[in-house]
Amino acid sequence: MIESLKARLIIVTTVIVLAVIWLVPNFVLLDKDFFWPSKDRIVYGLDIQGGLHLVLEADVNELLHKRLNRISLNLQNQMKVDKISEAVITVSDAAPFFMDITVKSPENLNSVQKIIKDLGYSSDLQTLKETNTTLRLAYFDNRVKDMRVQIIDQAIEVIRNRIDEFGVSEPLLSAQGENRILIQLPGIEDSARAKELIKTTAQLEFGVVNEEFPSEKLFPLIAEAEKKGGYSLGKNKLTYREYIKKINKDLKEHLKENEKIVFEQAPSATNLQTGRIPHIVNIGSGLTGTHLEDAFVSQGEFNRPEVSFKFQPEGRKIFADLTGRIVGKQLSIILDQVLKAKPVVQGKIHSNPRITLGAGGTYEEVRSDAEMIATTLRAGSLPVFLRQLEEKTVGPTLGRDSIQKGKTAGLTGLILVMLFMLVYYRTLGIFANIALFLNMSLLLALLSSLSATLTLPGVAGIILTIGMAVDANVIIFERIKEELRRGASLKLAIKDGFYNAFSAILDANITTAIVCSVLMYFGTGLIRGFAVTLFCGIVTSLFTAVFVSRTLMDLSLLKFGLKKL
Amino acid sequence: MNLKKRNFNFLELAKTLTPISMVLSFVGLITLLILGFTYGIDFAGGNEVQIQFEKQVTAEAIRNAVQSSGMESPLVQSFGENNEFIIRVEMADDENENAKRLTLLKNSLESHFKDKGGHIRRMDSIGPQIGKELRRNGVLAILYSLLMILIYLGLRFDIKYAPSAVFCLFHDTIITLAIFSIFNLEVNAQTLAAVLAIIGYSLNDTIVTFDRIRENHLLLQNKKPFFDICNQSLNDVLSRTLLTSVTTLLAVGAMWVFADGAIRDFAFTLAIGVVVGTYSSIYVATPLLIFMNRFKMFQ
Repeated sequence: MIESLKARLIIVTTVIVLAVIWLVPNFVLLDKDFFWPSKDRIVYGLDIQGGLHLVLEADVNELLHKRLNRISLNLQNQMKVDKISEAVITVSDAAPFFMDITVKSPENLNSVQKIIKDLGYSSDLQTLKETNTTLRLAYFDNRVKDMRVQIIDQAIEVIRNRIDEFGVSEPLLSAQGENRILIQLPGIEDSARAKELIKTTAQLEFGVVNEEFPSEKLFPLIAEAEKKGGYSLGKNKLTYREYIKKINKDLKEHLKENEKIVFEQAPSATNLQTGRIPHIVNIGSGLTGTHLEDAFVSQGEFNRPEVSFKFQPEGRKIFADLTGRIVGKQLSIILDQVLKAKPVVQGKIHSNPRITLGAGGTYEEVRSDAEMIATTLRAGSLPVFLRQLEEKTVGPTLGRDSIQKGKTAGLTGLILVMLFMLVYYRTLGIFANIALFLNMSLLLALLSSLSATLTLPGVAGIILTIGMAVDANVIIFERIKEELRRGASLKLAIKDGFYNAFSAILDANITTAIVCSVLMYFGTGLIRGFAVTLFCGIVTSLFTAVFVSRTLMDLSLLKFGLKKL
Repeated sequence: MNLKKRNFNFLELAKTLTPISMVLSFVGLITLLILGFTYGIDFAGGNEVQIQFEKQVTAEAIRNAVQSSGMESPLVQSFGENNEFIIRVEMADDENENAKRLTLLKNSLESHFKDKGGHIRRMDSIGPQIGKELRRNGVLAILYSLLMILIYLGLRFDIKYAPSAVFCLFHDTIITLAIFSIFNLEVNAQTLAAVLAIIGYSLNDTIVTFDRIRENHLLLQNKKPFFDICNQSLNDVLSRTLLTSVTTLLAVGAMWVFADGAIRDFAFTLAIGVVVGTYSSIYVATPLLIFMNRFKMFQ
């Protein structure tokens, strides 16, 4: 313990000031530009706010299987072209996936291996077994690992791309474990519609941006159409899909054949609703995601990340024709009617197209842009099947009632405990109550600073903390009384009381913290909320019950002449 | 309360109580294994709908409405005081089929109780896979907690303290869960959290006691037998034990009275735990410690 009372008072005051700073945003609605060091606040969980909670599982194996089948098909086609007869390729039906190739002669096998190399599969596939006329191939283990991550990313990217469709302000979207996606949409009650949106297969289209009709010319037309029709994106729950249909219908006269209007998210905006740029694109080439085989981020000149992609043989032809026609123009990559990228075509591209990104930006920014485009392309090439594991819908009234009841329970508990301490301990009770009150304030401040999500079990954790937090004070007070009974002076009794109690308090709190940590690790959503609040409660109660109450007692002894307890 | 000078011979009673507790924890374990639990949907999987009506509706009427939508053996329970009910139906194997089933259920409820002002407040569908994982994680969480505590106490205290404390926690967990099993109470994710909170609380109690025994043992090692040292330590910490139980029960009681649903069940579990945990640090942990102390290797 720090000996100087002044130093301790400074620490306590600093902590209280910090707590106030963190607490204020929870009670006062602060303007975005208002000067205040912290604007984080405690967020209510979905069980309190109401809304839709979904846990989906991506069928990774199905996709791995599909991709291997696709490769086998490409190999077979090329073998036909190269006139390798009587070759048989089979793909295993269940994981682990592999591909068996049987040919007639060793020479044929050599040709097959050359095809594999020429088609660019040698970085994906490893040879498991080889004889004179047979070959067993499987994905490299690292490749499978990468693909797993990619598949989850692409599923999330597709849903994120549709976030404007849900019409909620703070959707939560995250990967959970190896192959799961957690989606939380506050305020959504019509789960069927939201689920349908999430599960609709992604549509990837390639088009050409009409540069004769630039965005600047489109903006006023769109504003006019919106004004005339009395609609806008997000207004009256108008989803992006419906919105884009209306816009295209209203501005039909400005569009040529095969042309449509799509939007691109403005660079500074967080979603389409807050900022979008219109483009007219021509999708007459008919090139879509199904023609695409794969896309990935690679290292280009000067180590700048760029996007490489591969088409199926048929797609390669269409793409070569298309790029030959539009050299110098912008190719548009459109996912679910949202323009995701518009690279300029440098020349006719026969194979291995690459997208290099603009000159600006740090390495990380360029990298993340490239990842986004590659993920978009993959999402459109092989859609992921999502299986629903868990769905919870909470109406708005239930959570409101629950939190109200929780608050009443918490306040009642707090008052009861404080009254009890006051009646039993008198003067010491005042110290304990100040510590307890401060403890609760600090706990809420700490949760705000972490912008923790408060769930109902979390509320239970806080109420439990009220009851258990005074324990440290009780241990100390009993020790002080013991010392007094032995005839020690008040000053010495307080000093020894704190000293003797400390080891028990420390051990008891550390072991409880251990239990909390285990619960944080194993628990999911709601239960983790409980563990987090209990853990924070341990931290704050150690500080208030030991440090703050000691400081207060010393202060009363030295400055206010406390003589008796 | 005046607990100033006391010398209550706690451990006299231990001769009868401790063997009973030991037997109870093993019987409890066997009961758990034989009877099993009634799992809530977060563990068992299934569909659950919470519905509230503005006017009086009987559970029987709801059951009929649910059955008329083609679902067999629905579970309908009244919930709280305000015409609120929980309906539980089995999950279809296929998710689209299940979604259809729920729509059917919703429509049936709407048409049957059109004039009763019903509205659905909550709807959960949890697949069997999630439940299985949750059960596994629950067991793992409890086992890992016990293991980590064993290690920490072994390092911080003495080797003889750790197993006594951990067995005591094992006892508390088993007794609490056995109560759930015997009285057919529903075990859900909140129960799991409560059991771990009980482990935390009971451990708190045990550690405070053990800390005192450790301290007194150092002071009085050569003057008193270990049995008397323990007895004295229990008396030393008695007021603290009672006071903390009271404050915790006050908070938990407030939760039980004012909150509802999951939080209320949680409070109930905790209340059992506080009582069992307080008892066990006196009559399970301490006698075990005395027993361990008999062996030369631990002295």
